[in-house]
Amino acid sequence: MVILEATNIHKTYGTKKNLQEVLKGIDLRVEKGEFLAIMGPSGSGKTTLLNVLSSIDRVSEGAIFIEGNNVVAMKDRELAEFRKRHVGFIFQEYHLLDTLTVKENVLLPLSITKTPKREAEKKFAELAAELGIIDIQNHYPSEISGGQKQRAAAARAFIHEPSIIFADEPTGALDSKSASDLLHKLQQLNKKRKTTIIMVTHDPVAASFSGRVVFIKDGQLYTQLYKGTETRQQFFQAIMQTQGVLGGVRP
Amino acid sequence: MSMKQLLFRNLKQNIQHYYLYVFALMFASALYFAFVTLQYDPSLDAIKGGVKGAAAVRTGAVLLIVIVAVFLLYANALFIQRRGHEIALLQLIGMTKRNIFFMLAAENVILYYGTLIIGILVGFAASKLLMMILFKIIDIPLAASLSFSGRALVQTLIVFSVIDVLMMGMNHLFLKKQTILSLFRTTSTTEAKHVSVWNMVVGMVGIILIGSGYGISTKLFSSDWKSVQGLFMAMAFILGAVIIGTYLFFKGTISFLFHLWRKQKDGYLSINDVLSVSSLMFRMKSNALLLTIITTVSAIAIGLISLSYISYYSAERSAQNYVAADFAFTDKKDAARFTAALRSHDIRYRETIIDVIEAPTDISMILDIADQSRLQFQPSAAPLSVISDTSTGRIDVKPNEALLTGYEDLLRQFLPFKETGTIRLEENGRMVPLHYLGMKKDYYVNYHFTYGMPTVIVDQTMFDRLQKETDPQKKKVHIGIHLTDETNIERADQLFQRMEFSSIADSRLMMSRHQKQTFGLIMFVVTFLGLAFLVTSGCILYFKQMGAGEEERPNYTILRKLGFTEKDLLGGIRRKQLFYFGIPLLLGLSHSYFAVRSGWFFFGTELWTPMLTVMAIYTACYSLFGVLSVRYDKQLIRKAL
Repeated sequence: MVILEATNIHKTYGTKKNLQEVLKGIDLRVEKGEFLAIMGPSGSGKTTLLNVLSSIDRVSEGAIFIEGNNVVAMKDRELAEFRKRHVGFIFQEYHLLDTLTVKENVLLPLSITKTPKREAEKKFAELAAELGIIDIQNHYPSEISGGQKQRAAAARAFIHEPSIIFADEPTGALDSKSASDLLHKLQQLNKKRKTTIIMVTHDPVAASFSGRVVFIKDGQLYTQLYKGTETRQQFFQAIMQTQGVLGGVRP
Repeated sequence: MSMKQLLFRNLKQNIQHYYLYVFALMFASALYFAFVTLQYDPSLDAIKGGVKGAAAVRTGAVLLIVIVAVFLLYANALFIQRRGHEIALLQLIGMTKRNIFFMLAAENVILYYGTLIIGILVGFAASKLLMMILFKIIDIPLAASLSFSGRALVQTLIVFSVIDVLMMGMNHLFLKKQTILSLFRTTSTTEAKHVSVWNMVVGMVGIILIGSGYGISTKLFSSDWKSVQGLFMAMAFILGAVIIGTYLFFKGTISFLFHLWRKQKDGYLSINDVLSVSSLMFRMKSNALLLTIITTVSAIAIGLISLSYISYYSAERSAQNYVAADFAFTDKKDAARFTAALRSHDIRYRETIIDVIEAPTDISMILDIADQSRLQFQPSAAPLSVISDTSTGRIDVKPNEALLTGYEDLLRQFLPFKETGTIRLEENGRMVPLHYLGMKKDYYVNYHFTYGMPTVIVDQTMFDRLQKETDPQKKKVHIGIHLTDETNIERADQLFQRMEFSSIADSRLMMSRHQKQTFGLIMFVVTFLGLAFLVTSGCILYFKQMGAGEEERPNYTILRKLGFTEKDLLGGIRRKQLFYFGIPLLLGLSHSYFAVRSGWFFFGTELWTPMLTVMAIYTACYSLFGVLSVRYDKQLIRKAL
């Protein structure tokens, strides 16, 4: 079943005199429960793509359907409503609120949807155990490590059981150990909860945790790799090769 | 980009951002210039009365400039810190600190003096208005005429230049101390930490201190304090306890209360909580000193304006209490001459003649004071004025009864009376007990008969007996002239003022004008100072909130990405600003309420109407800054996604 379908996505920035086309007609279909990575060199438009797919930014042209909802046609209010129920986010800079404890941060999306407190508690306990943040639930973000912050951010993305999670360079600010910890957890949650994950990254290791990698270059779809039955190691090698060709630099 | 372009671009941006600063500076310079112009204006000294007009205004001007200087320096420090990034960047691309200093100085000079000159022009226009307001307040029928005063201009320029030099000195020091790296880190961050037990203790102590200060203030002028020294000790304690208490309140109590609130939510916060409670909890703590100053200053401003307004507001009432008719005489010949003059001008009137005798009265049984030995007079033989019930024209008292009336509020605070009891009047050398019926508010005779003590009303028969035996020296008469048509009062007063009288004679209008002049001038000066307090502290809170808003902007972005709408966020923001502006205001109002309540009776006869009026106006003006802050945040939220 297709959960996200984007056709002919264009995005231009700037004034009439100085137009800059960042996305030049991208088509993308994502199946339910997929773990998709988007890769590409700096300036290729991968973050812009993620932003328009996740409804944070608007397209200049093209259509996006998420679970059958026409995202492009929605008004701002509807978009906000849509995001709070169907979408989760993980960012490179964690984006936890400094003034809230870990638990308060994680429960935030539930408070928008006015979920009953008892249910919220249950969901939190379950997820916190899976992501290993129970011990730090009453800490403030300034009191925990980067890896812990990102796991808390991941918990926040999963807590309201969105159908799709967008992750923008989730490992970008982490050391390699914390990064692989986080990716393992994401992989587990993706399998267990059947939550679709779309992740932008420039790190081949991170991408190798996904099931499919889409490469973007100069605002257009360049190629894509499926993991299929390969091991993560083999998939990593394949990604490295493609990336080398893409960037014009041989490994 | 040349240096010049950079400079003008900065300038443009600063004006957009800090329009409120420009406004505050303009307001301050206009007010100062107007004050100084008034001070040099000879017509002000024409105001007769206890206070010399120019002296009062001069004192006001000095206080004003102190407030303004502190405000400008503080605002300057805030701004330069906020521009830390920019300064570091300029250094990074090769500008020397000297270059940057001159750039900042040039910017400052253009903005500062530009605003100052506009301020002075506004001030000149306003000084005439101020003069008119002043004349209106103190009830002088003069047309305000003012000329541009060169001395005022020079003085204003000098004073503000000195402040500007101080500001530049500050900038110089700032540049000298900071390195590029430290500048990049100048954006302050509010570290979220756990609320400790210590915090709780501090919070409790804060509340206890404020509470005890309030508690003592309510008993300040009752007879609990045995000496003047004790009274001063008590005052010092109240001041210290309330100010320190306020500081601890912001430092501990707020975060502790918010902490309890959050704890009870157990991690499940609504958007309003997220934006208001959780951020304020830390922000108020780190700004405790500033908030304390602002609260205290607001309390002082509200308190002083209230007191001066109470005096002014009560002027007419106290004139009524002092002079028990439109005109009052103590000599029948004087009265006859005056009434003849009234008749010749066709002014109709009604005359009341009240015989007054002074008799030793035993009020010890109705005084509501347990230990009467420390009183300055003998309560068992207090010399009170006695009048008969028929002479009042409307009261009837039985032969064995007595009614008291016309007791000054100030004295009432020190010498409270019971509701019922027995008083005794000396008749024929023995004390006759009379049933005490209570205290009425009306004044039948003039102040100089009673000196604020109540008048005793007895039955006519009793009064006749008393009068018969009284030494003729102690027999007095009060002749009150009431105009039938009050519109004639001005004419009658002019007649009164033109005549010479052989004994004490009073005009209520003259008394009321005299009171209004004295208190009106004080109120005028105090009100404008209060306004300056208000504008400067409001601006500082606004600037602080601007900075806080910038810091929280990433949070707004996150929340909007998570699916909160602008409207959701705005709700939380409104509550945040309500707390941020409201808590210092409420605390300030409450402080000033207790301060005013403890001693208002020294200033006038009416507490609630004038105090609540002042508080309402202050709150309204102050809220404006809260509204502006919400507006600013609204823009931030809109731009956040």
